[in-house]
Amino acid sequence: MNDRVGGNVRQARFQALCQSLRPDLLRFAFWLSRDHALAEDVVQESLLRAWKAQDSLQDLDAAKPWLLTIVRREYARTFERKRLVTVNVDDLIAKEEPMLAAPEEPDLTELRAALFKLPDDYREPLVMQALMGFSTAEIAQELELSEPAVLTRLFRARNQLRALVGE
Amino acid sequence: MMDHAQYRQAMDADPHNPDAELRAHRDVCQECNLYTERLLRFELRLERALRVNVAARADLPERTDLPERADLPERADLPRHAALPATAGLPTGARRERPWRFMALAASVLLGAVAAAGIWLALPGRSLAADVVAHMAEEPGAWRRTDVSVPAPELNAVLRESKIRLAASAGPVSYANSCFFRGHDVPHLVVQTESGPVTVMVLVHESVSRPTQFDELGFRGTIVPMAGHGSIAVLMRGPGVDAATLAQVVARVRDGITWMP
Repeated sequence: MNDRVGGNVRQARFQALCQSLRPDLLRFAFWLSRDHALAEDVVQESLLRAWKAQDSLQDLDAAKPWLLTIVRREYARTFERKRLVTVNVDDLIAKEEPMLAAPEEPDLTELRAALFKLPDDYREPLVMQALMGFSTAEIAQELELSEPAVLTRLFRARNQLRALVGE
Repeated sequence: MMDHAQYRQAMDADPHNPDAELRAHRDVCQECNLYTERLLRFELRLERALRVNVAARADLPERTDLPERADLPERADLPRHAALPATAGLPTGARRERPWRFMALAASVLLGAVAAAGIWLALPGRSLAADVVAHMAEEPGAWRRTDVSVPAPELNAVLRESKIRLAASAGPVSYANSCFFRGHDVPHLVVQTESGPVTVMVLVHESVSRPTQFDELGFRGTIVPMAGHGSIAVLMRGPGVDAATLAQVVARVRDGITWMP
């Protein structure tokens, strides 16, 4: 009886956790894929997988990196399935205009377009650090890189970004 | 003692770095204090830019909540976080291209190459040593003093691109990156020594006739020929550069490199 109650409490906590992390996971997937619809699909599928496998997450405090790993793997699977064609970055920006627009802060629109232009290898660790709040060590572990290599990518990402927006 | 460039490189990589040495420099350096303020303002903008509105779009189907546990089959085969398989080879950039796109790309590459050649011929040449030193400014993470070696797969991936192997006798490699340098991707390695980190760049495409010493912008080092395989640049930074350490690393790396066919 007590086990069942404990299990229900954990499930409720897990669901609440997923709901609270979903917006940032969706943003992460959006910046990874640069496609809002694809990001929605990836995150929805990832949360279903996480839900099914929640018993393998022993510490709920570790849910964020755990879910992020699932999102990254699901995104990789999407590539394997869809074999996406190469697209022009300017076309991507035009397609995702509603997501990038910030009418109240026009300079944010410019910065978002610049983020679209960053190489994937630079954009991903930058989003993990600046949006998700991951430490250098956590990013290194997730991307299977050394910490100095992560720092180099972050340094280059910010420099390219500033150059793209003319700062 | 940290200088302005080192401080800014470290902060650009991690604007919220709590390192005590960075804080100490900021406390006594007005210029870097102002630089940090600008950087943190940019960081706030960046964070706001990343927080795109993720409210459901009208043109997308309505999302459902997570299902009830009972609706799902028993335990999926998802591994634990620590046991997830390697993702280093994620096909993030691998996409199928159409033939006409390839032709257009080839034409633009050719045009770009011609333009670059014209610019290169019109510019005065810069010394190899100066280019090596200039490159150092792009790799702030490389100069960390650390006991942690680069994972073998990461090091091997960098070396493989230049068709080389490096024996463990070269010393503990704490940093490995493939860097675009003078038109080629070259291995940029850092070997840790008791005197501090020593940078090694394997310049397969840069031949020199004899060893060349240099001392520029706080970096001291040497470029030595590698018979039939270009050269290697070995350098340290800071006032405490130890010539004996440099010579040792040169010898160890020269002996430790194997060229693959």
